[in-house]
Amino acid sequence: MNNETMNNEQIPEVDEAQEKEWIAEFEASMRRPLPLRMKYSFIKTYKPVLDDATYRSFETMADYREWCEKNLPSWLGYGRSL
Amino acid sequence: MADRFDYPQAQEIRDTFARHHARYLFLGKSGAILLGFPDTTQDADLFVEKSAENGEAVVKALIDLGFALTVAEINEIKRGKDFVQLKNGPFDLDLIFAPDGIESFAQAWAHHVEVDGFPVCHPDDIVASKEAANRVKDRESLPRLKKFLDYWKQHR
Repeated sequence: MNNETMNNEQIPEVDEAQEKEWIAEFEASMRRPLPLRMKYSFIKTYKPVLDDATYRSFETMADYREWCEKNLPSWLGYGRSL
Repeated sequence: MADRFDYPQAQEIRDTFARHHARYLFLGKSGAILLGFPDTTQDADLFVEKSAENGEAVVKALIDLGFALTVAEINEIKRGKDFVQLKNGPFDLDLIFAPDGIESFAQAWAHHVEVDGFPVCHPDDIVASKEAANRVKDRESLPRLKKFLDYWKQHR
């Protein structure tokens, strides 16, 4: 494990109304059969740079994270900061 | 660019990997979705056991699934490089041999969950790996994912 693991202070607080909304979404999801859940959940949009090669490999996860930080547009969210 | 990942493709992974006795677990948001987490993602993430025997089996399964692998790529997968990103097949697939935040494949396998025959990392491991990765997109999704984890434990 790396030494920059997220701690609870970094995770935003959630209010009660938001929680109730999420629970309703979880309940609705669990009522759906798995094929339908997957149909709703897997999407495909072009991701610049990331989708421009057919194969990539990294010796370590740290190498992969570093490559993401250096090469991907920050708005894709693969880095540790925007 | 491959089409979006769907249920029949997930079944193909399950059945083809089983035929070759390849050991893996669905991880990340794709794993959470199999468990019931309502969210969106683009790729399937597989946590693959790192061993020579399993690397061999995984390569055979990938070729059967239609991935066009070069000799060099086959050797890297057999060797178990920590992270391999495949976009040269019928769908996009990430192979993760050493995910952040998870001690070992054996530990993850010991308490994994089966959903319709799909082997999935326990949600505790899915959350742990996202916490350890600590990317912007993980930080955005974690509060809802953790709430789902609580919900799933109460209702399983």
